Amino acid sequence: MSILLDKPKEPEGGKSLPRFPEQPIKPYRRPNPIYNVLGSTDHKVLGLLYLALSLFMGIVGGALAGGIRAQLASHNLEVLSPELYNQFLTMHGSIMIFFVIIPALAGFGNYLVPLMIGARDMAFPRMNAFSFWILIPSAVLMFASFGVQGGAASAGWTAYPPLSLKEFSGGPGVDMWILGVHLAGVSSITGAINFIVTIMNMRAPGMNLMKMPLFCWTWLVNAWLILIGTPVLAGAVTMVLLDRGFGTNFFKPAMGGDPVLYQHLFWFYSHPAVYIMVLPGFGMISHVLAAFAHKRIFGYTGMVWAVGAIGVLGFIVWGHHMFTAGISAELRLYFSFATMVIAVPTGVKIWSWLATIWGGTLEFTTPMKFALGFISLFVIGGISGVYLANVPFDMQVHDSYFVVAHFHYVLVGGSIMSIFAGTYFWFPKMAGRKLDERMGNAVFWLFLIGMNATFLPMHLVGLQGMARRIWQYRPEYAAVNSFISLGYLLMVAAGALFVYSVIEALRRPRDCDEDPWKINDVQKSLVWTTPSPPPAYNFARIPTIGS
Amino acid sequence: MISSRFARPVLVAAATLLAVATFGQDFANIPASEPSITDWMFDPVTPIAHGVRNNALFILAITVPYLILPQVLLFYCIWKFRKRPGAKPATFHDNVQLEVLWTIVPALSLVVLAIPSYKLIKFIETMPEPDVRIEVTGRQFYWEYRYPDHGNIRISDEPLVVPVRKNIVADMTSADVTHAWWVPAFGIKMDTVPGRYTQVWFNVEREGWFKGQCAELCGALHSKMLIDVHVVSQEEFDAWIEMKKREFAGE
Ligand SMILES: [Cu+2]
Ligand SMILES: [Cu+2]
Repeated sequence: MSILLDKPKEPEGGKSLPRFPEQPIKPYRRPNPIYNVLGSTDHKVLGLLYLALSLFMGIVGGALAGGIRAQLASHNLEVLSPELYNQFLTMHGSIMIFFVIIPALAGFGNYLVPLMIGARDMAFPRMNAFSFWILIPSAVLMFASFGVQGGAASAGWTAYPPLSLKEFSGGPGVDMWILGVHLAGVSSITGAINFIVTIMNMRAPGMNLMKMPLFCWTWLVNAWLILIGTPVLAGAVTMVLLDRGFGTNFFKPAMGGDPVLYQHLFWFYSHPAVYIMVLPGFGMISHVLAAFAHKRIFGYTGMVWAVGAIGVLGFIVWGHHMFTAGISAELRLYFSFATMVIAVPTGVKIWSWLATIWGGTLEFTTPMKFALGFISLFVIGGISGVYLANVPFDMQVHDSYFVVAHFHYVLVGGSIMSIFAGTYFWFPKMAGRKLDERMGNAVFWLFLIGMNATFLPMHLVGLQGMARRIWQYRPEYAAVNSFISLGYLLMVAAGALFVYSVIEALRRPRDCDEDPWKINDVQKSLVWTTPSPPPAYNFARIPTIGS
Repeated sequence: MISSRFARPVLVAAATLLAVATFGQDFANIPASEPSITDWMFDPVTPIAHGVRNNALFILAITVPYLILPQVLLFYCIWKFRKRPGAKPATFHDNVQLEVLWTIVPALSLVVLAIPSYKLIKFIETMPEPDVRIEVTGRQFYWEYRYPDHGNIRISDEPLVVPVRKNIVADMTSADVTHAWWVPAFGIKMDTVPGRYTQVWFNVEREGWFKGQCAELCGALHSKMLIDVHVVSQEEFDAWIEMKKREFAGE
């Protein structure tokens, strides 16, 4: 694939494409610069807003984790009351999922997809702004619930009834949580529609789907997952809301309702949600590895099929979260089998990444370090997932710290590592300066060691029988848990240094050309042909992609 | 890779902190007389727990290559293909045979891995003829046990007592929210769901005390919903039942 920026190809068969103006379109600028940010519909501004929100919420969610780790630093502490502890763990999960990982990936998607496919903006710029701004009331609702009577939601991010029903969670915390989830869901769904329409319709002439950068493929599949899954989650939490406030009995056993039905509905969304949180990360990792190996992505076609397969299979495995819920043995066999099948396309991705760097000339820049670290950590999270797919073993360690370890390897080792890799990689494009490489090196090592020190020992206490979501625990687990709490401090140090290095970089003058990493001779991505940062509307002339 | 001025002191500090945390711990606060909850892997006490342990080791044997190989390849690449002056990157980007291979081989491994665990599910799910039936009810925040064949005596918030080497079949439900009854040494975890009955069985091969814990978030004092099981000889069990029956009648 090569890019012919100068010679737009005339379409065959006489059907003419719309003419694009030769000069960049001048965006309308309001006199007050604040409006240019707050009122912007530019996909790049919105992408950066998403990323800024994600960073801010990451600090909040990390602070909540700090409360949890302080409480668990030894077996009989009372740093938090048991009620507050449950609120912290509920909000930690909800915030990290709905306001950190998902918005961060939406931010990268917004910023990069139009640039990668040679478009001037997303298909629906105003809806794009709506998708972002509706996250703010959503976050405010969830936070404000800490101040209401009874405190924030404390039934876990899973909000299983009957615990989340009025009888057991009396205050308005759960209601506010549900409304917050609704708004975040609206944001996700409108965003997903925007991505699908943009990718299907706005690719530059000549860029057929199988020439599209892998990141766009992962976002396309991701958008479909969001579009299909999120309404089911919204339905499930709405039924809880109705049970709580409007006298319905969907999940009240005494009135013929069924709490297990909620679990089916909830996990129908929330298993795919794992892929929603990691697929775009896969795409980013592919680009970073290829770039700093100075090679092309290995097995592009296989990668596309693997992402598609993960997307489809992701919808038929939800029951693996319910192996101990009393569902029938046949159902467990099926869900166990289907879950193991997912390991195959996931493995294809791992092998293809290794083949991508094989034979390259590896440059160990900070984004590359995060991408290589991602492979190492994600393999661990994947293998423990195969363990959990086995019903007998899962019935032993389900809802134990082994599961906590597993999904943090997937979400921190997978999603967060890929978000770090993507941030360090595209920051020069977005901001016109590189993040400091020496500080980046320290951020990487602190985070990698802290991450492993925090989550690796959780496998151990989980195997030893420590249940998750407990406020105090048997003294047998005290030593390992103190160690874990110290590991958390290393991750905090990494986070603080990262924030500082972002501020430090933004105080320097811009000095990056189009291709600051000097990688585009091999990568041939449209992103690295635009100035850093790209101008409004990205391309003076819509590029044509040759074969 | 660890070359920067920042990273080295940071690493040293981190290693020191972690070492202090591990070895500076006070292990003495664990009462030595009580059996530990932590050693089911080394000391399973029911047929199911043995099965789960063996199954876990079997999965380990099958998955270890998949855990190690990518890490080894990764470190090999990092070491071998680092950028050297004058080196040219390879240009291959496809290899259909290789891609088919790394799809098929893991898929076959998973089939091998699944078969014994499916057998084990059948074993877990097939209830034997019960010697003692019990009913477990989860309540915020304690457990209630009933012995329907032994005068329907009921105990709550105290250790479950069962005879050794006997098939115990437990019907479980909940009076309020969903809980989960988990005793690691028995290899059993089962949710207790309001409005539903779930069932487990176990046959403990030796006498002693076994610990467990509620494993489904059930409210503020979820962490205090501990489980203790006292496994005794048949004679002791009978005596205990008689005592409880008198207690029950006297109430
Ligand atoms: Cu899942
Ligand atoms: Cu409980």
